Amino acid sequence: MSTISSHNPMKNAVAFAGAATTGFVAKNSGRSQASLAAQACTDVIKACGLTAADIDGICGMVPSPPEMQTMLGIPRVTWFDNPVMPVVNAVAVATAAVFSGLCQTVLVYHTPYRLPWNTASSLQDPFRGIGMPAGSGPGPESIFGGVGYTAWASRYIHEYNVPREHFGLVAINDRSNAARNPGAAKRTPLTMEDYLSARMIRWPLCMLDMDLPVDGADAFIITTAERARDLALPPVLVNAVTLGMVEKNQEDQTPSLRNHGQQVVVDALRAKSDFWTDGTDIYFPYDGFTPITLNWFENTGWCGPGEGGQFVEANWNAEQQRILIDGRIPVNPHGGALSEGGSQASGHIREAVHQLQGLAGERQVDGARTALITAGGYFFNAQGLTLVSD
Amino acid sequence: MTDLITDADLVRLFPGQPLTHDSAAHYRGRLEQRLLINRCTDCGTWQQPPFPICPKCWSTAVVPTEVAGTGTIHLVVFLYQGPPAPGVDYSTPYPVATIELDEQPGLRFTSTVIGAPNDDIVIGKRVTLDWIDRAGTPLPVFRLAEGAAT
Ligand SMILES: [Zn+2]
Repeated sequence: MSTISSHNPMKNAVAFAGAATTGFVAKNSGRSQASLAAQACTDVIKACGLTAADIDGICGMVPSPPEMQTMLGIPRVTWFDNPVMPVVNAVAVATAAVFSGLCQTVLVYHTPYRLPWNTASSLQDPFRGIGMPAGSGPGPESIFGGVGYTAWASRYIHEYNVPREHFGLVAINDRSNAARNPGAAKRTPLTMEDYLSARMIRWPLCMLDMDLPVDGADAFIITTAERARDLALPPVLVNAVTLGMVEKNQEDQTPSLRNHGQQVVVDALRAKSDFWTDGTDIYFPYDGFTPITLNWFENTGWCGPGEGGQFVEANWNAEQQRILIDGRIPVNPHGGALSEGGSQASGHIREAVHQLQGLAGERQVDGARTALITAGGYFFNAQGLTLVSD
Repeated sequence: MTDLITDADLVRLFPGQPLTHDSAAHYRGRLEQRLLINRCTDCGTWQQPPFPICPKCWSTAVVPTEVAGTGTIHLVVFLYQGPPAPGVDYSTPYPVATIELDEQPGLRFTSTVIGAPNDDIVIGKRVTLDWIDRAGTPLPVFRLAEGAAT
């Protein structure tokens, strides 16, 4: 069998020195991805007390690392990469690159962007449609892409006989948290009535079950823990990071809700980390689709299979209309993909870094020292990250 | 007979489909209304989607083989909106179902279910293969099996 073990020589040796964001908007910003990324990247470099000449690694998707280097005038880099989403993948390779000595200080960035297949209004910006021939997909008889999560949501309902309200609580939690995040795209309160009457997109999921297409950018500096201690902000150490995937990983061939990438992530991350659910101060389950969050609660071990919704109900703070596990641990305190905006987990990672640096504003969790992030979905994108303050 | 269809014709007949050297035989099968799934002739393992090697024994003696077309609904969604397609009207939510085929546990094929009200198209129902026309080419679809449910 596979070689999951506690072996983790880079534990706490590499750190986030800082994180920055543009904030997200759920409308066409009138800006390019390069413009958004440039803002977040220059902000984080300056916040850490660095200059372009201090960066020797570049890691991001759009703009490409060569474009980023040219745009910011970064003189020389010894490593660059453009890993696919979600963004824990970028954190994993950047951390490994720093630990191995491929480079010392990496600029990591991600630019959520409203693309023509996300929203009808995106199509009204002609610059967004370039290179996207209309009608080029395989047709409706497919569950590839986002439809796959909807298909497995129907299976979840079938196997565990849960009501859609369980999905709705995930959406309400995110919205209540986003009210405290000035950078979130949707901050008006959400009720269960609003959720149940929202437009159905693909049964059993409605508009409020799906992440919010936004324009924005996040950027990070990842460097050695030693160097991070000499910089302007408190270091946040990478305790462990992992990706997970199983043999049958296509959307329609995935074995079951109890056998996909998330279980691999949980096995590996738990083995390699110094803490788990009983030691985390904040929990960040991915929420690109609401059932993913419930499945993460179950697979991470907060509760049993099919019990995600009941777990949320049992840990629901009615006054604040959000989850506080054991009355204490918030879940996606920035508002997550459903209300801050769909960031393919860059928002979750940035919020975790800010929380552990004490920079989370009115969302700050008192004394937060640990964060557990379980990012991505089921098929070929499940990922995990544990962070600790120095 | 469909061997006479050139690769270029095949790409033209199935726009947007994932046509490769490894999937072409499956699409040639559709033109004859035969649902072909790759099967290893050495160990008998079926595989979907079509790859050129058996994942169990690494034999390359993998042959597109006709399946019975019977199975059970494993996943189902109803699209209230979706990509434009001839004959697809989202004013009635369009069912898309992943069918677990009888040939092998976990072997699945995804298409639509026709001839039944949406309320009857539920996970666990038995289905059989049928064919409809999609822009001049046959599309494999499923119908609920007569009077059967699991
Ligand atoms: Zn074989």
